[in-house]
Formats: sequence, structure tokens, C-alpha cells
Amino acid sequence: MGDRRDRADTDDESGADGSRKRPVGGELIVPVGAIVFTLYYITTILHGPWEAKANAYYIGSTLMALCALFILRTLLAVRRGEATLGLQRLIEPRNLMVKRLGLLALTVGYIYVVHWGGFTLTTFVFLAASILLLRDGRDRGFVLALSAALALGGYLLFIVAFHTRFPKGPFEILMQQVF
Amino acid sequence: MEPDLAFFAQLFVDMLGYWWIIVPTTVLGIVVGAIPGFSAANTIIILLPLTLSAPVDQAMIFMVALYCSSRMGAGIPAILVNIPGTAGAAATPLDGYPMAKKGLGQQALAISFTSSNLGGLLTTAVALVALPWLARVAYVMHSVEMIVVMLFGISLIAAIAAKDPLKGLIAGLFGLMIGSIGADHVYATPRGTFGFLELYDGVPLIPALVGLFAVSEAFLFIESGSILSDKGRILVARGGWHGTMEGVRITLRRWWHVTWTSMIGLAIGVVPGAGAAIAAFVAYQQSRFFSRTPELYGTGHPEGLIAPESANNGVTAGTLIPLLTIGIPGGATAAIMLVVMQYHGMPTGMQLFSTRPELAYGMIMSMLVTYLFMSFTALPLARYLSRVTVVPTAYMAPIVIAFTLVGSFVPRDYVFDMYLALAFGVIGYIARKTGYHVAAILIGVILGPLLEGYFLRALRIAEGDIMVLFSSTIGNVLWVFLIVSVGAPHIIEYRRRRRAAKPSRGGGE
Repeated sequence: MGDRRDRADTDDESGADGSRKRPVGGELIVPVGAIVFTLYYITTILHGPWEAKANAYYIGSTLMALCALFILRTLLAVRRGEATLGLQRLIEPRNLMVKRLGLLALTVGYIYVVHWGGFTLTTFVFLAASILLLRDGRDRGFVLALSAALALGGYLLFIVAFHTRFPKGPFEILMQQVF
Repeated sequence: MEPDLAFFAQLFVDMLGYWWIIVPTTVLGIVVGAIPGFSAANTIIILLPLTLSAPVDQAMIFMVALYCSSRMGAGIPAILVNIPGTAGAAATPLDGYPMAKKGLGQQALAISFTSSNLGGLLTTAVALVALPWLARVAYVMHSVEMIVVMLFGISLIAAIAAKDPLKGLIAGLFGLMIGSIGADHVYATPRGTFGFLELYDGVPLIPALVGLFAVSEAFLFIESGSILSDKGRILVARGGWHGTMEGVRITLRRWWHVTWTSMIGLAIGVVPGAGAAIAAFVAYQQSRFFSRTPELYGTGHPEGLIAPESANNGVTAGTLIPLLTIGIPGGATAAIMLVVMQYHGMPTGMQLFSTRPELAYGMIMSMLVTYLFMSFTALPLARYLSRVTVVPTAYMAPIVIAFTLVGSFVPRDYVFDMYLALAFGVIGYIARKTGYHVAAILIGVILGPLLEGYFLRALRIAEGDIMVLFSSTIGNVLWVFLIVSVGAPHIIEYRRRRRAAKPSRGGGE
């Protein structure tokens, strides 16, 4: 991950005065999320026995203090003009935004469908659609053949050979009845 | 009966005769170990009808061989695509994956295989000879001592987040908080579950592992055409056996490193419930602490790969010891072994050693023979497996997402776990893009519930007195080691900077 993150480290924003400002808005997501989660966690144990609270007291309070410190450090850097609250580090490279969101949507769709669509069919559709999306629709024949081979290979290895509890759908049921 | 050299020699020869079980099982084990969501335990459960119908000695050899080889297999995706096959391999990508990106995937795999085999062989040999003494380790490691051992692993967070300690600590503590989701250990009060019944048992490890490593990595894959750097591509294109030979040579030259890190694995493995993940993290942390070049850890340093791989294979021998000597399984796989032994009417504990010594010692000997066979069968694979890194990321990313997400479904049969893996994927992606180390989060998620369990147990025994943490001699010795290993690097660094600053000030004057 190092080189990609390092690229992000240098991916600074030019200010109006020509100075370079670090966009640090994205860095606040994890600490803010941690604070929100810890507060929610505390609300679930308020009336619990001390055994249930021990962790939140020791770890949660330390985590919130560190997050507050980090947010303060970031805001001071913004105030000094060294950084901005921009989200560039998270969003860049912008030209891949459609592919990234498309892959995310396909992934959510895959999880939603695989339970009743079954492993083999759903995996074939997901692989074909995702690879074509990432390859801008090139080599359709090869991508379809590869997706089919991978989905069938997975079916043979995991479901037929290992009898794994993979999600089963129309294809798996049909095969079970045929053989 | 006291076993002598002739007994062990005969047992060794007998076990060699079971090559027809061991060799195919190691291939199966490497495959299932390499797939996140699969494990030796899952596979043994699937194949339980086979193990129950086979003679007990053959069934045990099969399970032991599968256990060892799956442990080694888990390191393969961790090195090549930054996706640990099991929690025990979670420390492997810290240095393994940077090596693969540099085009040294073949060498990294050879290092992983050699250190796994060597570590496994050494610890198994020690276990055979020192079985009665090692069995006592389980008796002296109580909750207090285990708390300190956990803290050794958790202190790794500070080491891997050396660039920005504040971010590292936030990531680690956030992981610990996530790890404490679920019913509490004493009264089963639900905590932070968002109302999901599926989280009452805590955060399942496989979806967390799949999300933080595999899904987030897959989304990062698409930002570049290849996993490999430009230099790495040239190196991989050269091919040949050089990388494998070099990996073996590097590991053999560091034989002492393999030895002591695998012994950490053995000692931790003996404690029931401790597991390979703790051993790997503790070994990595200690390896970095004693290294002359700690700054190289995390950049693709061979010693950073040797330590966790030797340690997690050291655990395999350790896990068998409480099972055989006191009849307490040290982990999920050992628990299934116990079931198979009981089904066949085999006694456990010292009775097993007196009535069926060839079976008791045979299980450990079969482990030794498995590691011996794997030394020859696994190494040639390094060259071909490393070719995975040349697959364009447009193909790799969807394949990783599809197969690992379904892998996260397998252990519990919940679709919820796939959504959970995706949620962890989003957290991991944001963390990676904004400079938070996902390994630090994972350390918290893995060790958090264990630490809490031991902590509450210790407090309950002492009726809430926190001073119980400093009540045992062994525990206090471990505390001192912990403080030294956390504090010393900072003191050394401070002194080094002061020494470096003095001459320049002098020069200026």
C-alpha cells in the first residue's frame, strides 16, 4: 500500500497564494467515526453490570481523548494555513470514480442476489459485469469465457468437491437433480 | 513407558510409510488454507465421515497434516495479494506484501515456506522431547500472565504506526472497541451490536479479515494496472528459480531468528485458546525489537516475514500438547481431533501415553514428517504461485471480491457476514486512503475480545482488585519485559538523535 499512500501524501492542493496545502478532511473520518461509535457503545452499556462496562471505560475513554487530540491537531493545521479540509486524498484519482462506485454497486448487488441466485450464476454475472466495467467493455468474448470458467471452477471445487455451504440457487439445484 | 531413541526412530519410519496420506493432504491443506473463510477446522468437519470411518491412526495423521499445511497455505495470499487466509497469517503481509510488490513474490514465498517448515520441524522436535515439561506451561499461564502476553501483541500497533503514532493508536484502539462488540463475557449484556443478533457472539473474524484486507485492497487494486511496481515487473519477467533459492538461502542464514520466533509460537500455542494470531503478532513485535534494522520492518524486510511465519507454525505443535497431555483442546482443530479420538474410544491425558504411546507420540511425529514432506513439495510451488502478481488488477479485483465475500459467508452461513465484510471493506478503504494502518485495526479486533476475557477473569478472581495484574512472579517478569520492549526503542532512538545532533552543533560552533 505504501507507494499508493505515498502518492496520496504528496497529492497536495495549491492555495490561492501558490502555497501547497495538505487536504486532510478525509483523515478526520476515522476519528469522528470512532467517537460516534464509542458514544453509541456507551449508550448500550449504561445500565449494564461493571463487567460489561470495563472495556468502554478504559479503552473507549482513551480512544475518545486521542481522537479529540487528533481533531484539534488537524484543525490547528488548517487554522495555520498548512492544510485544508478537502477530501482529495480519499477521492483521487477522480477519473476512476465511476468505476469505483460501479464496482461498489455491483458488490452490493452481488451480496443481495447471491443468497437466492446461488454462487455459480451470481458469480458469473458479477465477474463478467465487473471486469467489463473495469476494462471499459474490451475483450467481451474472453471476459465472458473467463467469468464462466471461474464460476464453474468455483462450483466444482467448493460445492461438488468440498461440499461447502456456498449459497445455492437454480443452477446448483438443477445440477443436483441431473447428477 | 519411557520413550527412547529407538522408539522415536521406529515411529519416524512408521510415519514415513503414511506418505500416501500426508502428501495429498498437504496439497489439500495448502489450498484450503489459502482461501479466506476456509480453515483446517472447516475442512475436517466437512470430511468428518471420512475421518470417523478410517482407523484412528490414519484419521489423526490426516488431521495433523491438514492442520500444518493449511497454516502454511494461509501465508500465500497474504504475501501475494495482501489477503491473509486466516487470522494466524494476519502479520504476514506486513513485510510479505511489500516484497511481492517489489517483484520478490517468489522469494517471499520461499522465505515463508522455509521458515514455516523449519519452525514447524524445530518446535515439533522440541515438543517430542520436552512434552512433560511443556505441558506445565499451560498450568503457569493464568489470566494475569496472558494479559501481559496480549499486551505484547497489542504493543505492535505502536511499532507499525511509527510514522504517525497518534493515527496508529487511534486505529488500534478503534479496533479494540470493535472487538468488544457483542455480549459481555459474564452476564451476556449486548454491547454495541446495533440490534443485530448476528453480532451477539462478537465480531466474527473472517468477515473482518476479508473486509479490512481483501475488499479494501481490491478497491485499491483498480487505481493501478498491476500489483507490481515498474521494477517489480522487470524482476518477475526474469523468472527462473533464482528467487526460490535466494529465499531459502536468506532463511537458512537467519536460522537463529527462525528458532527463537518459532519457540515463541510453541510457548503461546501450549496455552489453550491463545492461538496463532497472538503468536504471530508477538513474534513480529519481538523480532522488530531485537533487530538491528527496525526501520526496515514494514518495507519488505525478510525478518519481518520469517518471524510471524515461524511463530504461527510453532503454534501447531504447541496446540497438540494440552490436547494430548490434559485432554484440553488448544483450538478449534484440536477440538475436532478430540471428538474423533473420543469417537474411536481413545483415552486422553496421561492414560493415552501409557496405553497407546505410539498414537500419542505418533501424532506429534506425523507433524514432524508432514513438515519434512512439505519442505520438498511446497518450495517448487513458489515460482508458479508468484505469477499471480502479474494478473492485471482489472481481473484480480472482481475475483478477489467475489471469492472472499463468499468465503466470509461459509463459517456461519449468514448473509449478514457478507454485508459485514463489505462494511469492514469500506472502513479499511477509508483507513488506507487516509493513512491509518488496517493491520493496527485488525490487531485490536482479534486481540480485543481475548484481552477483555482474560482481564475480566482476573478481576473477578481478585474481587475487582486491579492490583491482581501485578500479583504473580511470572506476570511481573513479563511486565518488565513488556515495558522494556516498548520503551527501549524510544530511548535508543532518542540517544541516537542526541548523538547525531552533538557533532553537528559542534561543527556549527
